[in-house]
Amino acid sequence: MILLPLLGFLVLGLWGRSFKGQSAGVLASLMVLGSFVLTLVLLFGGGASFEVKDWLPGIPFALLLDNLAGYMALIVTGIGFLIHVYAIGYMADDPGKSRFFAYFNFFIAMMLTLVLADAYPVMFIGWEGVGLASFLLIGFWFEDQKNADSARKAFIVNRIGDLGFLLGMALLYSLFGTLQISELREIMEKSLVLPAGLGLAGLLLFIGAIGKSAQLPLMVWLPDAMAGPTPVSALIHAATMVTAGVYLLARSSFLYANLPDVSYWIALIGLLTALYGALSALGQWDIKRIVAYSTISQLGYMFLAAGVGAYWIALFHVMTHAFYKALLFLSSGSVIHALGGEQDVRKMGGLKKYLPQTHIHGLIGALSLAGFPLFAGFWSKDAILASTLNYPFGGYGFYLVGLFTAFLTALYAMRWYVLVFLGDFKGQGHPHEAPPVMAWPNHLLAVGAALAGFLALPEPFWNLIERFLAPSLWHLEVEPLGTATEWGLLLLSSVVAILGLFAGYRLFLGRLPDAYLAFQRAAESAFYVDWLYNTLIVGPLKELAFGFGLADRGLDRGYVRLGGGVGLLGRLLARLQGGYVRVYAFFVVVAATVFVLWGVVR
Amino acid sequence: MSDFLFVSAALFALGVYGVLTRRSAILIFMSVELMLGAANLALVAFARAYGSLEAQTVGLLVIALAAAEVAVGLGLVVAVFRMRSSTAVDDLSELRG
Amino acid sequence: MSAFDFIATVLLLFTGFIAVRSQNAVHAALGLAANFVVLGTVYMSLDARFLGWVQIIVYAGAIMVLFIFVVMLLFAARAEVGVDPLPWLKNWGAAVAAVFFATLTYALSAAKAPLAGTTAAALLGGGTAKAVGSVLWGTWLYAVLLVAALLLVATVAAVVLVHPDQGQSRAEREASRGGKA
Repeated sequence: MILLPLLGFLVLGLWGRSFKGQSAGVLASLMVLGSFVLTLVLLFGGGASFEVKDWLPGIPFALLLDNLAGYMALIVTGIGFLIHVYAIGYMADDPGKSRFFAYFNFFIAMMLTLVLADAYPVMFIGWEGVGLASFLLIGFWFEDQKNADSARKAFIVNRIGDLGFLLGMALLYSLFGTLQISELREIMEKSLVLPAGLGLAGLLLFIGAIGKSAQLPLMVWLPDAMAGPTPVSALIHAATMVTAGVYLLARSSFLYANLPDVSYWIALIGLLTALYGALSALGQWDIKRIVAYSTISQLGYMFLAAGVGAYWIALFHVMTHAFYKALLFLSSGSVIHALGGEQDVRKMGGLKKYLPQTHIHGLIGALSLAGFPLFAGFWSKDAILASTLNYPFGGYGFYLVGLFTAFLTALYAMRWYVLVFLGDFKGQGHPHEAPPVMAWPNHLLAVGAALAGFLALPEPFWNLIERFLAPSLWHLEVEPLGTATEWGLLLLSSVVAILGLFAGYRLFLGRLPDAYLAFQRAAESAFYVDWLYNTLIVGPLKELAFGFGLADRGLDRGYVRLGGGVGLLGRLLARLQGGYVRVYAFFVVVAATVFVLWGVVR
Repeated sequence: MSDFLFVSAALFALGVYGVLTRRSAILIFMSVELMLGAANLALVAFARAYGSLEAQTVGLLVIALAAAEVAVGLGLVVAVFRMRSSTAVDDLSELRG
Repeated sequence: MSAFDFIATVLLLFTGFIAVRSQNAVHAALGLAANFVVLGTVYMSLDARFLGWVQIIVYAGAIMVLFIFVVMLLFAARAEVGVDPLPWLKNWGAAVAAVFFATLTYALSAAKAPLAGTTAAALLGGGTAKAVGSVLWGTWLYAVLLVAALLLVATVAAVVLVHPDQGQSRAEREASRGGKA
């Protein structure tokens, strides 16, 4: 499974130039499709596992395909395949597309490693691998300094999280003597007493998840990551990579279920991130940045769900989110494609007329995101909100703020839709509909974004996902809310969503009130977080680096002098190199004599 | 121990002398061959002293290697001669440091 | 020291001396060839019969013919022409060679025969092709194969080195050919 995309990466990376036309993209897509089918087969064959003992001393290289991993792997390869196909159309005219698809395949391979890992170090390999792939892909158009900087920013911010992951791993190893997840789980099931330091280990792992999933306070890289080609944004920053953090939490559910304090923090951070992302999204003018901030916000929701203990709901939201966010990104991509690279929503509008297909896709994506009743996002978001009430680590505060955020979500989803598709067209040129190779993935995603929610309905209907994932997750006692309450909540959140949509529709189609404009200015720069980070952290570090630079120069001067001495010695030795082979031979003989003499006399 | 070991040492030293004093690449080559022969003689003498067939086998391989070496070496000499019309190694001193 | 040994030693040293000192390259080559023939007989006396014959055929025969051929080809019969840029090396070379010889002699003088002569001779089985062959194609098989490959490479290398077109690119060759036509 992992090998297929890896093979694609190798082939495309090594012989990418020899792939003419669209064959590179087709090959890459087929590799991912192969993985998808293989996952499906293995999953319904009852899972699989693979292990290389003593890969590192005491740490096996273990892969495990259980329900949870299979679920994620299906999302990764399934959505990944659609995005690959889309990218064939999107990148059709790019000279570096075989490189692009090589990176894409590499990303999928690493993501699968991450998902299938049964040991934290293996997961870490995938973790770092996707980080690397995202770095390469964000900076894909590296000729532009800004893009390269964004890539570096994403990489560096992620490093902070990775440090947490690494430290957490080390701590776990020192506590349990193993890093294999299934073994850790068994230990946790057996022992009643939790070793001290477990909380810290959980917190450290969680920091890793924060970094990858762009949660507060490490969320600054994600909007900038939009510098990459749009399919990248869709693949990495919507569908898969950022959910790695959520996946980590779910994988480690046995850990967090026993750590109420840490879980509380997770939920809190998730909630704040959701709020922050939603507020920031309201002020953005870049079509992709709006979607990026909404991603941050939605990830916040997932963390909220994972924090309160509703791991399956978090994963449920991962799936629905993957559908509708990929759809949103790809239809954004289609819009950008149609407008020849324009990303500013102020220069859009009225595209409904020009891009009827994309308009439908965008509408479905936005409605799903907003939580409009019966769409996929509605079911999962409502499940999250309800879970804050009945899962052990939840509370009313969470619920209320979550509900407010849901309102905001509907608001900015509507804003995005209205600005792009309604009103009058404010840009130049003649938009044209995307080619079929780009439209078809969107069709499929639209179906998913609309209907995926029906996989898990609240009581008294069926709930496939919870049942399916239950064996892989830690079981927490949940007091049922009661059917009436649950449907009441459902009604409430749909009212809120519709309210938000309506408000957004009225607000953004007409003139904006002054208060909103003021808010907009703050939101546009994402509440100055970048600026704050620059002054508080980046600035002092720069000064420090400058100081180091000075010290370095002093050191350099010493080395230069040393170099002069070496040079002098070299000139002396060079006199020996007269260029006469026989002289060299003479020295060889002398040296041989000395060696033999030394050997004999000794 | 066989006296031929001493003969081998003497021949080897003669070869060394030749390599150091000869100025024509071909003659230097001949001296090198002399040294190889001396080394082989030592091998055979040791084989006799230790009753080891392996040493003789190695001697055989040395002869084969010498054949390869001569082929390449003389090829080089001819190639250099084409370029410079000379076989004197002292003319080849471009690598002066 | 038997009479054979004595005569062989004297001959070896004499022919070796001719090989390194003779001013005529052809003489030097002939001296070397004679040296190798004597060496071959010595091998046979040391219970290495097969090796002795190989020495005579390959070395004294094939290799020395090559040498003489090249000497004639390059008109290099006169060994030392022109000015010696390193006159000091004559004496120093002799000195170093002498010191080297002394060192080796000293090293060898300490050595003792590990086996009685008859025992060792019995182990060698006369060094016939049969005896050597079984070892050669047994434990040393891979070495033999490697040497065979090396010989092949060396042959190709020699051909490439001496090839007249060497140093010219294909394009140049094409151009020159086109020019002629």
